[in-house]
Amino acid sequence: MIDQMTCEETFRRLDDFLDHELSASECLLVQEHLEICTICAAEFKFEAGIWSEVRAKLQRTTVPPSLREKVTRLLRDTNCSDSTEK
Amino acid sequence: MAGIKGAAKLFESNLEPILGVAYGVAFHLTHNAADAEDLVQEAAVKSFCGFHNFQADTNFKAWFLKILTNAFFKRCKKKRCEPEIVDLEENSALYLYNQTCKAGLHKVSDDPATDLLRRIDAEHITAMMKLLPSEYQIVTVLYFMDEFSYQEIAEIIDCPVGTVRSRLHRSRKILQKLLWRVAEEQGIVSKYLNAQIPKENDRPNDLRGNIQAA
Ligand SMILES: [Zn+2]
Repeated sequence: MIDQMTCEETFRRLDDFLDHELSASECLLVQEHLEICTICAAEFKFEAGIWSEVRAKLQRTTVPPSLREKVTRLLRDTNCSDSTEK
Repeated sequence: MAGIKGAAKLFESNLEPILGVAYGVAFHLTHNAADAEDLVQEAAVKSFCGFHNFQADTNFKAWFLKILTNAFFKRCKKKRCEPEIVDLEENSALYLYNQTCKAGLHKVSDDPATDLLRRIDAEHITAMMKLLPSEYQIVTVLYFMDEFSYQEIAEIIDCPVGTVRSRLHRSRKILQKLLWRVAEEQGIVSKYLNAQIPKENDRPNDLRGNIQAA
């Protein structure tokens, strides 16, 4: 007897599925449901699409070229015995 | 002396590859390039001086970001940088999906999520981070800036995994609302729909007015 997930059970796992936080067996059950249910598949694809675009846009920040240099200089001039937690 | 120099080199070789993520996290937390640079530098000095406590073979990036987020928390308390309160009213996990369906986007696009998001400027998405409550913001920024698991985020911010999970899931619901708000304010959906010619069979009634008469 093979377990199958309902739409509701699948939907409840949407976030964890997208974040690769499901166990291997649960992940498989979700995938199996998505293969046969076009409605859930469309919703999951939509959600995955949003968050991958949001991620790509947020990651577009570029390190100011001067920062690397500043950090190197700062570390060179740091005397750790002087630094005290405030 | 050679030992100290060697340690400094080793530290820098660990820091160099993660500086991009560290700056990105700092930027999305402080919302300001100068403050982000300051925060990274503060974290660099603190972690450099505490480098002897870092266990080799563990995750340097997570260790560094823990120091960076701690420094941020301290600054926040000092400056009381409370974000603008966002309407936390619970909306569906499929809020954006439903809104774009209602608007007719799914009738004209095979990939409505990408088509919508590509039209929203990165600046707007960056600004949305500012609107999240601070305890959601930090989880969300860490989540988007790297491929951390819930467990790793929990360790970085010293929070139970369940808290990370629930904050992240709620934060995504809030972000969906904010994304839709921007899409409406910018007229992104209507501009997109006006530029499309829906397939004959799918053509919804409310779009007929937008299709030029032959
Ligand atoms: Zn289903």
